[in-house]
Amino acid sequence: MLMQLGLTRGLIYQAAGTGLGMVVTMVWRLLAGMDLWDQEVVFVVGGLVGGFAFMWGVGAIDDWLEWCRGKPTPLVHGPPRDKPAWTRYFSTDYNHKVIGIQYSVTSLLMLMIGGSFALIFRAELAQADLQFLGMGMYNKLIGLHGWAVIAAILLGVGGMANYLVPLMIGAEDMAFPRLNAFAFWINVPGGLLLLASAFLGGFDAGWTAYPPLSTQGAVGYQFLFLAIYFVGLSSILGSLNLLVTILTMRPKGMDLFRIPIFCWAVLATSLIQLTATQAIGTAFLMGLSERALGMGFFDPEGGGNPILFQHIFWFYSHPAVYVFVLPGLGIISELLPVFSRKPLFGYRWIALSSLAIALVGFLVWGHHMFTSGYSQYLRVPFMISTLLVAVPTGVKFFSWVATMWGGRLRFPTPMLFTLGAISVFLLGGLTGPILATVASDLYLHDTYFVVGHFHATLFGGFVFPFCAAIYFWFPKITGRMYNEALGKLHFYIMTPAFWLMSIGQMTVGTMGMRRRIVDYDPTLGGGLIEARHLETTIAAFLIGLSILIMIYNLVTSAEIGVRAPANPWRSRSPEWQIPSPVPEHSFAAPLQVVGEPYDYGLEEEYVVMDESQADHAHAAH
Amino acid sequence: MRSNYRRHFLYAGILVVVFTLVIQWILDLSLPLPAIQGSAQSAAIDNLIGQHVWLIAGAGALVLVIMGYSIVVFRARPGEEDEEGDYVHGHAGLEIAWTVIPLIVVTIYGVIGVQVLAQVTAPQDNEMTVEVEGLQWSWRFAYPEHGEFQTVEMVVPVNQPLLLSMTAVDVLHSFWVVEWRVKQDLVPGITTELRVTPTEVGEFQLRCAELCGLRHAYMLADVRVVSQEDFDAWIEEQLE
Repeated sequence: MLMQLGLTRGLIYQAAGTGLGMVVTMVWRLLAGMDLWDQEVVFVVGGLVGGFAFMWGVGAIDDWLEWCRGKPTPLVHGPPRDKPAWTRYFSTDYNHKVIGIQYSVTSLLMLMIGGSFALIFRAELAQADLQFLGMGMYNKLIGLHGWAVIAAILLGVGGMANYLVPLMIGAEDMAFPRLNAFAFWINVPGGLLLLASAFLGGFDAGWTAYPPLSTQGAVGYQFLFLAIYFVGLSSILGSLNLLVTILTMRPKGMDLFRIPIFCWAVLATSLIQLTATQAIGTAFLMGLSERALGMGFFDPEGGGNPILFQHIFWFYSHPAVYVFVLPGLGIISELLPVFSRKPLFGYRWIALSSLAIALVGFLVWGHHMFTSGYSQYLRVPFMISTLLVAVPTGVKFFSWVATMWGGRLRFPTPMLFTLGAISVFLLGGLTGPILATVASDLYLHDTYFVVGHFHATLFGGFVFPFCAAIYFWFPKITGRMYNEALGKLHFYIMTPAFWLMSIGQMTVGTMGMRRRIVDYDPTLGGGLIEARHLETTIAAFLIGLSILIMIYNLVTSAEIGVRAPANPWRSRSPEWQIPSPVPEHSFAAPLQVVGEPYDYGLEEEYVVMDESQADHAHAAH
Repeated sequence: MRSNYRRHFLYAGILVVVFTLVIQWILDLSLPLPAIQGSAQSAAIDNLIGQHVWLIAGAGALVLVIMGYSIVVFRARPGEEDEEGDYVHGHAGLEIAWTVIPLIVVTIYGVIGVQVLAQVTAPQDNEMTVEVEGLQWSWRFAYPEHGEFQTVEMVVPVNQPLLLSMTAVDVLHSFWVVEWRVKQDLVPGITTELRVTPTEVGEFQLRCAELCGLRHAYMLADVRVVSQEDFDAWIEEQLE
């Protein structure tokens, strides 16, 4: 049974491929008269071959290989005929709904792994001095926590976009189903390489991996670089697919200002992913080749410059922040009208503000480097461009509260998480300008204040909206309702705990605590710093607990939850006009757009199914 | 429309003012800056941070109050389960207002930011150069205008404008004395500069603020700010 799963085959192929790559490299080195063992080169080639071997084993390139051989490869729909239905989730499957679930579940898994790393060092930080965690271990865990949750966020973004976009625009599937499967599965060898790096000495320069520290560390860095290369490839291919899907597969009458607002967020996100991900690929490829091949990109002795890395790194990694949060902000805009029973206030403004954030986001990377030592005069333009991000972000906030104003608000779990998301993202957003302003950043840069700021941004922009989305679409995905009491328990534990944690982090930051230190001076903040750390640690564990409650809720409700009606939320969006769970072929007939997406309070529908075309639609399958 | 919006706007407006003050007070308690303002730069930076706290409080109160007000006043009460909200699509005037006003506000904060930056980085006439070298995981200081010697603690005269000329031997480091507020990275192969004028006599700690490997948390150095006479005496001692 296990061997019938694509995942199992992929893992075996990856292990074999890694071994093969390493052996071939060593043999080649031997033949070339070099030392047999050079861990940098050997592990890089092994990791690279292993990653692509996984893709072969899991079956993600089967159809393309068939094409090369001139064979027809019709898209097969439905669960595999000769295996149980659940196996499709562990094998290559081209249905966007399956891929969306694969992304989302993998995201939750990575989120829990990455979160657990944080709980380990959070426990260490509960008291000053060293308790159980060594200095080296601490330095490795912070970077691993960072990249594991970033991978989780990218997977979660992919999950929401893949599951929802085709349903929201009434498309049969994504534009390129095979590419879609490939883009998901490449994350698995990527994630494994990332976690495996811990066994090769890890990477001890934090998630930013700044050289020269990162060029001197253990060989674990190479697996980090390769892992992000794979995950980045997924971003590029996935965003290409989403762009084409949104731009070309909308039904008649659905012009761009009539798509569900989440699709606008995905559009803006995909534009960033398609064009900025190459920069992190470049930065890490340069890091990889500096280590493996001795190219002195960042080493002053070799004619390089360490600050160059920071420019290339942040040219992706700042826009990436908007990749992490824009889809979540789209979820907020999507859910508020449903539970406020009121049209989305200023649809076009919200839609265009996503694009504005995406575009301005390309011009602000230098604010991460105010103290780096680059030309001093550059600091002012980067300060101004960064402050400008507040304008489109403000448009979103004001439009959200205007949507609620005068509505008839209901508060089931998804709405609670939407409101929680707004409040937390507000905290993250408002603590931005103080860091964007150079002089105050000279104090706050590289302190725990920054840690508090970006955790609020990412929880408000991703974690809370992701939870809202999971609860909201759970009935559509499983055909059953989640447990409302447990959902609310999750919310009422996580939200206050998060506020406590994030503000606690900011507090110790203004007291003068640096980030990325295993031990701190207990006299800071007039001796109050330890108490704040203890609170922060307790809050972090409460967040972990609340996530476990959610997982329990989801797993049990999928089995024993009350059967969900087609449209429990009375949403106008297309995916709620079809049965729950969504059938294999989502829409029985092509959609026809007859109204506006968020006209709550009006009788007219947003979309209707064109039944006269029903036969035609099925013929096309 | 269910209700008289003008009355709701009035109540919400009053609450925004009240909550601005409340949030500002909470933030002042939650974001305590170090009590000692040890440099000429400290006060300017602390003021700037204080001004930003008002921005956070004001904008935060605006959004939170309108959200909270809607949650309380515009919630669906029992018996209203099937009711829909007011049919309002948007308001071009409002959208323009909350695009333009924030634009003006961030411009003002940008101008203030530029002024404070100019103030804290302005070169002074009588600067004394201290050469700072960071290496895993310790600091070295040299005083080129006073002779050829290196120290592991930093001793400087009070009220003397300093020009720190810094470089790193191995990996990135960052110079940060909490009481002085300002911070600057040290980069291998490059000389970076930091201007600071210590104004408080006392013993402080220099902490590395850029992750630099195993013992980064403990990459510290003692910093003593002393009177000019004590400094001259200390220099004599070093030269012996």
